Amino acid sequence: MSNTRQINFTLNGTPVSAEVGTHLSLVELLREKFDLFGARESCAQGLCGCCTVLLDGQAVSGCLYLAALADGAKIDTVEGLGTRDTLDPVQEAFIEAGAFQCGFCTPGFVLMTKQLLDENPNPSEDDIRHYLSGNLCRCGAYPEIIAAVKAASAKRKAAG
Amino acid sequence: MAVKEIQSGQVGRSLPRLESAAKVTGHADYVHNLRLPGMLHVKVFRSSIPHGRIRRLDVSAAKQLAGVHSVITSDDIRTIIPEPYFGPAFHDQPILAIDKVRHIGEPVAVVLASDPHVAEEGVALIQAEYDELPGVYDEVAGATATTYVHDTLKPAGTFPDLKHLQGKSNTNIALDYQLRRGDVEAAFAKADHVFEHTFRTQQVMHVPLEPMVSAAELTATGLTIYTASQSPSFVRIEIARLLGWPENKVRVKVPHLGGGFGAKLYVKLEALVAALALLTRRPVKLSLRMDEQFFTISKHASTFKIKSGVTKDGKIVARRCDVWWNGGAYADIGPRVTQKSGFTAAGPYDIENVHLDSFAVYTTRPPAGALRGFGIPQLVWAYESHTDLIARALDIDPVEIRRKNILREGRPQATGTKMKDAAIEQVLERLAARMNWDRSFDRGAGTIRRGRGIGIGFKAVIAPTTSVAIVNVYADGSCSLYCSTVDMGQGSDTIMAQIVAEVLNLPAETVNVVHPDTDVTPYDMATLGSRSTFHMGNAVRIAAEDAKAKLAALAKEVGLPAGANVPISEIFKKKYGMQAGNVIGSGSFIPSYKSPDHETGMTDNATPFWMIGGTGAEVEIDTDTGDIKILRIVNVADCGTPINPRIVDTQLSGGAIMQLGFTLTEEMQFDNGQLRNPTLADYKIPGMRDMPTVMENEAVAARQHDGPFGAKGVGESATFGLSPAIANAIHDAVGVRLTELPLTPERLYRALAAANGKPLKD
Amino acid sequence: MTPFELAEPRSISEALALLDPNDPSIRAMGGGTALMLMMKPGFFKPKRLVSLRKIAELAAFRVGSDGALRIGAMTRLSALERSAEVAKAFPVIASTLRTLSNRRVRNVATIGGHIAHADPHTDLPPVLIALDATIEIAGPGGQRKIPAEALATGYLETTLKGNELITAVTVPAAGRKRAIYVKCTTRSADDWPALGIAVALDADGRNVKQARVVVSAATEKPVRLSGVEAILQGGAMTDASLREATRAAASEADITTDMQGSAAYKRHLLEVHLNRAINGLLNGGARRGA
Repeated sequence: MSNTRQINFTLNGTPVSAEVGTHLSLVELLREKFDLFGARESCAQGLCGCCTVLLDGQAVSGCLYLAALADGAKIDTVEGLGTRDTLDPVQEAFIEAGAFQCGFCTPGFVLMTKQLLDENPNPSEDDIRHYLSGNLCRCGAYPEIIAAVKAASAKRKAAG
Repeated sequence: MAVKEIQSGQVGRSLPRLESAAKVTGHADYVHNLRLPGMLHVKVFRSSIPHGRIRRLDVSAAKQLAGVHSVITSDDIRTIIPEPYFGPAFHDQPILAIDKVRHIGEPVAVVLASDPHVAEEGVALIQAEYDELPGVYDEVAGATATTYVHDTLKPAGTFPDLKHLQGKSNTNIALDYQLRRGDVEAAFAKADHVFEHTFRTQQVMHVPLEPMVSAAELTATGLTIYTASQSPSFVRIEIARLLGWPENKVRVKVPHLGGGFGAKLYVKLEALVAALALLTRRPVKLSLRMDEQFFTISKHASTFKIKSGVTKDGKIVARRCDVWWNGGAYADIGPRVTQKSGFTAAGPYDIENVHLDSFAVYTTRPPAGALRGFGIPQLVWAYESHTDLIARALDIDPVEIRRKNILREGRPQATGTKMKDAAIEQVLERLAARMNWDRSFDRGAGTIRRGRGIGIGFKAVIAPTTSVAIVNVYADGSCSLYCSTVDMGQGSDTIMAQIVAEVLNLPAETVNVVHPDTDVTPYDMATLGSRSTFHMGNAVRIAAEDAKAKLAALAKEVGLPAGANVPISEIFKKKYGMQAGNVIGSGSFIPSYKSPDHETGMTDNATPFWMIGGTGAEVEIDTDTGDIKILRIVNVADCGTPINPRIVDTQLSGGAIMQLGFTLTEEMQFDNGQLRNPTLADYKIPGMRDMPTVMENEAVAARQHDGPFGAKGVGESATFGLSPAIANAIHDAVGVRLTELPLTPERLYRALAAANGKPLKD
Repeated sequence: MTPFELAEPRSISEALALLDPNDPSIRAMGGGTALMLMMKPGFFKPKRLVSLRKIAELAAFRVGSDGALRIGAMTRLSALERSAEVAKAFPVIASTLRTLSNRRVRNVATIGGHIAHADPHTDLPPVLIALDATIEIAGPGGQRKIPAEALATGYLETTLKGNELITAVTVPAAGRKRAIYVKCTTRSADDWPALGIAVALDADGRNVKQARVVVSAATEKPVRLSGVEAILQGGAMTDASLREATRAAASEADITTDMQGSAAYKRHLLEVHLNRAINGLLNGGARRGA
C-alpha cells in the first residue's frame, strides 16, 4: 500500500488531478498545488473556519481533511464564488456592511454564509449565530457580519 | 450606527475599505501566502522547561534525517552575528537560546527543509537536557525574588532614561518609573476616608488569526525580509544593526496583516530568518503555528495596589499607585508599557497628590509586550473598580462621583500636563445618557439578578515619534501614497487615502496606497498605540499639501493662470510635452514632547493627544451558577472628528469585543511554568454566541485641533473601560466584588457562596 | 504529519481484514476530525488508516415505523441534524447536535467515529446512554451488541478490540419518554462542556416510571447515576425527593478538576442543572439543548 495517491476531483467546476502524500491536508493541497489562498490554516483545530472549503456542497475544515480523500469529490473554494468584477451577492453584502477588518477569516465566513442561505434563506438572528458559531473573527466584526448575512438574504430574495 | 457621517468631501465619508473586493474574494495578500523559489521552511525546537541551563543539545539525528537541509543553533548564529541579542528597549533576547532558557517554549534550535513536514519531523528528533533552575512566575514576588532571570541588564540605546540600568545585576526589575506630585502621606493623614484595594489581571495573548510569519532572502544588493510586521522601519534598522550593515541594504516588505493587535511589533521572527537566510544562502520562511504564538509574545499580567484619600463628599485628594508588570523572560517593549502607562495610572481624575511606582518585572514566563491598550486596560481595571468601591462606600452615585473628580479642559493631570482636546466630561455624560442612568433600573428579585456599571479611562498617546509620507502625482493626475503605516484591518490604507484625496480634491478610491516597502516607503516609527491617524495622518496631509503646492507652482511655471481649474494632466503636458513626469510631495511629522523628570515623573508636555474611552455595561447573573450574561455594552469614545465614521464605529465595537474576551474567558494557564492551554481548543476567544445582546458605539462630537482634519486615534479606546464596567455591573447586581480577571462563573459563584456564609467546599 | 498507508475498503469484511488487534498504529477512520486533531500535533502517528467512507451500507439511517432509530456508523452528524424525522422522533438528538462542535465538523464527523473516540467531553454518548441505545459491533468473530454505556471504558478507551468496528447505533422508540441534554460550558459559548448531563424520564405526571441520568465531560467516561435514578423512580416526585436526588448526584459521580472548573464547582453545577432539567421535563419537557 502506497503512501502517495493520485487523486482526481473537480475544483471550482474544473476537473483536475494531483499526486499527493497521504499526510497532506486539503488546505495544504489547495494552497501549495493550486495556488488558491482564500482558505488559510489558522487554529489548526477546525475551530476558526479560516480553512473553510466546500466539499460536495458541504462546508468542511480543510485543515482536518485529508487531501487523498478528496478523490472523486467536488471542491469549491471562495475563488470559485465570485471575482473582483462579478461578486456573489454574499460578497457584496459583506462589503456593504463593512463585515471584515483584517480579512483573514472572511472567505470562511463568506462560504459558511452562502451555505447557510442555501439551506435556510431566511435565517433568524439566533439561526445565524448558531450556524456561524464555528467561525472566529479576532477583529470582532461579528455585529457587521450578522448584518451582512441579513442583507445577503434580502439580496438573494430580491434576485429571485 | 451612532458615529456621525458628513456628506461632503473625502474626509468624513464612510468609504468602504479600499481592499474590500480583495478581502471578500480571498485575494488579499498576506505573508502567510508567500512562496519564494527554492524556499526552505523553518520549524522550531523549543524549550520544554521554564528556566534552566542547557546542559546538552543533540541535533545529530535531526541533521541526518532525509530531506533536512540544516539544523541551526545559537553557535551557528554567532558565526555571523557575534552578539545576537535584540529588543526595542533591552538587547536581552537571543535569536536562539544561548546557554540558558528563560521560559517555556523558548526557541533553542531550528530545522530547515524544503518540505515543512520533514522539518517538523526533524524537530521531533532533537534532544536537549537541562539543569533546571527555580522559576519566577509572579510579578510581585519576582520584584524581590533572589532567582534572577538575567545575570545583568542590557538596556539598548533607544531609551536614554534606561542608561543607569546598564550592567546592573541581581535584579528582576527592568524598569522602575516613578511619579511624585505633592505629598500623598500628608493628604492621606488629613483625608476623611482612605481606601486601599489590590487588583490583578492575567496573562493573555493577542491571537491574530494570521499567525506570526516572516521570510527572508538574500538578493543581489542585500537582504529582503517579507514579514507580517506592524513596524517595518524598526525591523530594517534593527536587522541592519545586528548585521552591521547600512540601513539601505536591508529591505522590509509588508502586505496586509491578518491581524496584529501589537503582537507583530519590533522584532519577533525577523532576526532569526535574516540569520538563517545568510547561513543557508537560501530563501527561508518561518510560519508559526497558532500554539507557537503563545510562546512568542503576550500581554502583561499585572498587580495594582491602589490607595486613595477621599473627602466625605467624595473628592479624591490623594492617590498612591503601586503597579507591577509581569514582563516575562524578555523585556520586549515592556519598559515602555511600564513608563508610558504610568503617566495615566492615577486615572482621568483631578488629584492634587499622586505617588506612583511602576515596575517592569522579569519572570520566567513567555515574554509580554504591546497589546491593544498598552497597559491602560490593566490600569483602568484597577482604578475604575476602585472608584466604584469608593462610591459605594460613601453612598455616592457612580456617575456623580466621577463628575466630582474628572479632569476638565485646562487642568493639569498627574504629570502636570494640562488637558487639552480631551472630552472626558462629554464621554461621561454621553455614557450616562445612553445608559439611562437617571432612570431606575430593575435588578430583579429571584435567582436571576441584573446590574449596571460604568468605567472610563484615558491614555496618553506615545511621543515623540516620527512619521514621514510621500505623495507622488502622476502625469495623468492620478496619485500614489507611500507610507509605512501597516493596514492590519484597522483601515489605515483607506483613511490615509481619504486624507490625500481631501487635499487633492480626488475621490479617495482612486488613491493608490503603496504598502510598506522600506526601499520605497519612508520611515514610520510603527503602527501601534493608535498613533497612525494623528502622527502619520499629519505627515500624509503635509505631503499632500506639499504636492498640491508644487502642482500650483508648476502650473505657474508653465504659464497657466493662477486659480484656473486646469486638469493636472494639462500641467504635465505643458511641462514635459507629453504624458510624463511626476510631482512628489513629502511631509514629516514629529509632535513636540518633553521627557518626564526622572525623579518626579513630571512633564508639562507628556503627549500630543489624549484618548478617552468609556464603557457602560448591563449584566444578568444566574446566582445559582455564577453565569454572567452581558445584556448590553455601550462604548463611548473621544476620537476627535472621524475621518471614516464607519471604520471608527467598527474600531470601537471590535476593541470592545476583544476586551470582552480578556475580561470573561481568556487566560494563559500555567502549571509550574508549563503552559497548559496554548491552543484555541482551550484558550477561548469570543465567538458569535458570546456577543452582548445589544452593543452600541458612539464617538462624541469632538475635535483634535492639531490632528488631520480634527482626527485622532481610536483603535484602543474601547478597551479601556470595559472590564471594570462589567465588574461594577456585577457588584451592582449581586453585591460581590471580583478583583481579578478573568471574571468567570466559578469565581463569581464562589464569591457569592462565601458572601452567603456557605463557601464552596473543595 | 508524515505519510502513512491509507486504505478505503468497500465492505465491512474487507475493512476488518485491514485492521490489526495488536497494532495500535492501525486505526479505522470515520470522518477523521478527531484523528486529525491527534495526528497534527504528533500525538498519534498512524502506520495505516482504514477509511470507512466507501462502505455504503454503513451510511444509511432511518426511523422505523415502530419509532426506533437505526443509524449506520458512517452517518454524518449533520445528516442526522438535518433530518426532520429524527427531530420529530428524538428532539433531544436534534437539539444536542445543534451545539455539537461546529457545522463544519458535523458535516464530516460520523456517529461511529464520534462514539468510538470515547472522549468524555463529546455530546452524543451521554444522550445515547440516556435513551437506552445499543451499539452494534462487527469483528472477525461476528456481530455483537452492547448497551451504549458499555462502550467507553475510560478516557479515550473503549471495549472495542483493534480489529472490531462499530457498524450501527440503534435507539429504541421514545414512547412516552422525554429527554434533555444540558451542555454546561464555563468559558466561551462554543466550547467543550465542563459538564454534560443527559436525562430521560418516562413519567406519568410526577410519577417517574423510569429514569436515566447520565453525567459526562467532568468524568473519565459518561456515567449513569444509578443511585439517583433509583431515588427518582421511587414514587411521586416531590421537591424534597428531587433535592435528595440531585444532592446524591453530586456525590455519586466521580468528578474531576480541570481547566474548565474545579470538581467542587462542577458538583455544584450538577446539582443545580440536574434539578432544573428534571423539573423542566416534569413540567412539560422544555427540551434545552444548550
